[in-house]
Amino acid sequence: MPLQYNLESYHKPEDIGQAIDLLSKLGNTAQVIAGGTDILPRRQSGAKFNTLTHLIDISGLGLNYIRKNADKICIGAATDINCLAISPVFRSSPYTVLAEAANVHSTHTIRNRATIGGNLCNASPCADLALPLLALSAAVVVAGPKGNHTIQLDSFFKGPNCTALLPNEILQEIVIPIQQETSSASFLKLRHHQTAIDMAVVNVATLLFLKKNNCLSAKIALGSVGPTSFLAKKATAILSGQTLNKKLIQQAARISADESSPIDDNRATASYRKEMVAVLVENSLEKSWQRSRE
Amino acid sequence: MKKNNIRVNINGEWHDLTISLQDRLIDTLRDQLGLTGTKEGCGEGECGACTINLNGKAVLACLMLSVQADGAKIQTIEGLQNGLDLHPLQTAFLNEFAVQCGYCTPGMIMAGHALIKQDPDPDETKVKTCLANNLCRCTGYEQPIKAVLKAAREMRGKTND
Repeated sequence: MPLQYNLESYHKPEDIGQAIDLLSKLGNTAQVIAGGTDILPRRQSGAKFNTLTHLIDISGLGLNYIRKNADKICIGAATDINCLAISPVFRSSPYTVLAEAANVHSTHTIRNRATIGGNLCNASPCADLALPLLALSAAVVVAGPKGNHTIQLDSFFKGPNCTALLPNEILQEIVIPIQQETSSASFLKLRHHQTAIDMAVVNVATLLFLKKNNCLSAKIALGSVGPTSFLAKKATAILSGQTLNKKLIQQAARISADESSPIDDNRATASYRKEMVAVLVENSLEKSWQRSRE
Repeated sequence: MKKNNIRVNINGEWHDLTISLQDRLIDTLRDQLGLTGTKEGCGEGECGACTINLNGKAVLACLMLSVQADGAKIQTIEGLQNGLDLHPLQTAFLNEFAVQCGYCTPGMIMAGHALIKQDPDPDETKVKTCLANNLCRCTGYEQPIKAVLKAAREMRGKTND
């Protein structure tokens, strides 16, 4: 059964300038796609896409790359998620956290098409890749009619399926700053049925920058428990500058739960999610701590 | 309905096709080309029945538009066998009784095929991960795993795909 919406045109621009010109012309009747895995499921044909008549496919813009240099890792927005899962760049600590999330994102057949840029721009509160990227202090490079500018990922998500991108802008690249050498990170995902395709009930990424057991800084990113993926800043504040111990970790986990604002839905109740935030944050911090000692 | 022209290589043969913009790849394969080996289950990426091979990778034919496949090399379940000779994966699925109603089978075989191409000696965990996107409503999961492992064993050493 073909698609429910009435597509009038499909464009595959050859450079980003062309793509932006098209977006500027077509406005909110256009949708940027790369893999297309978020717009094609039939159930998505509801209100969210009812004005959608034009597709702009950015998979031909050369945005499929992972580059690492002395001070940053750059990932092209149209890089498919399996590339992240298998890239040698994400095999060393703390960057493994991104491969870890990529490996449990949907299934390998979807990951062959789905892209990192799509996962961020769809801005689902349960997007798996958003959390390691938040923990790694990533920023996104946005291309628009007036050139490029950079937005910290922390201020990129504005609500469910809503980002800071203007209608004529395209997410071009994700930039991860090189982290302190002794930092370590981990990602955990709880699913309702624990099947591969199942979306998260709660997902969490944590990052610790330790010197011996002294926590110089920390990041706790929470997903599926608020309108957007976000950093639990009150929880991390109690870790910074302290000597890490189990009790402190439990305290940070509890504050993380307090900072979350989950809703009841068909995957889980709000109260269960809150409890699970505490469990996952505790486990993830323990795991990150463990990794710092390896 | 808006039409577009695409050129795709399907099972080794190039086709010039006029497709509707609304068509997903599975619509073109099944309804336009009569390649009904690729099945549609859920239509939203959850069941894996429509798994095909696109430019060397296993992907879902219900989650992409035909227009996105322009220029691509596609292999479907029909492209596996050589004349009357079944592909080792097809034979292994038969011999291991990995087929009950058969609806999920082409998707499972195509997923297994992509795995073996990439890793000729996969362990059981890898096979399970690979088949995690393929739902079987007849509850037969053990046999497909055995079948993929068996086919991989048989295919090692052979280079004819």
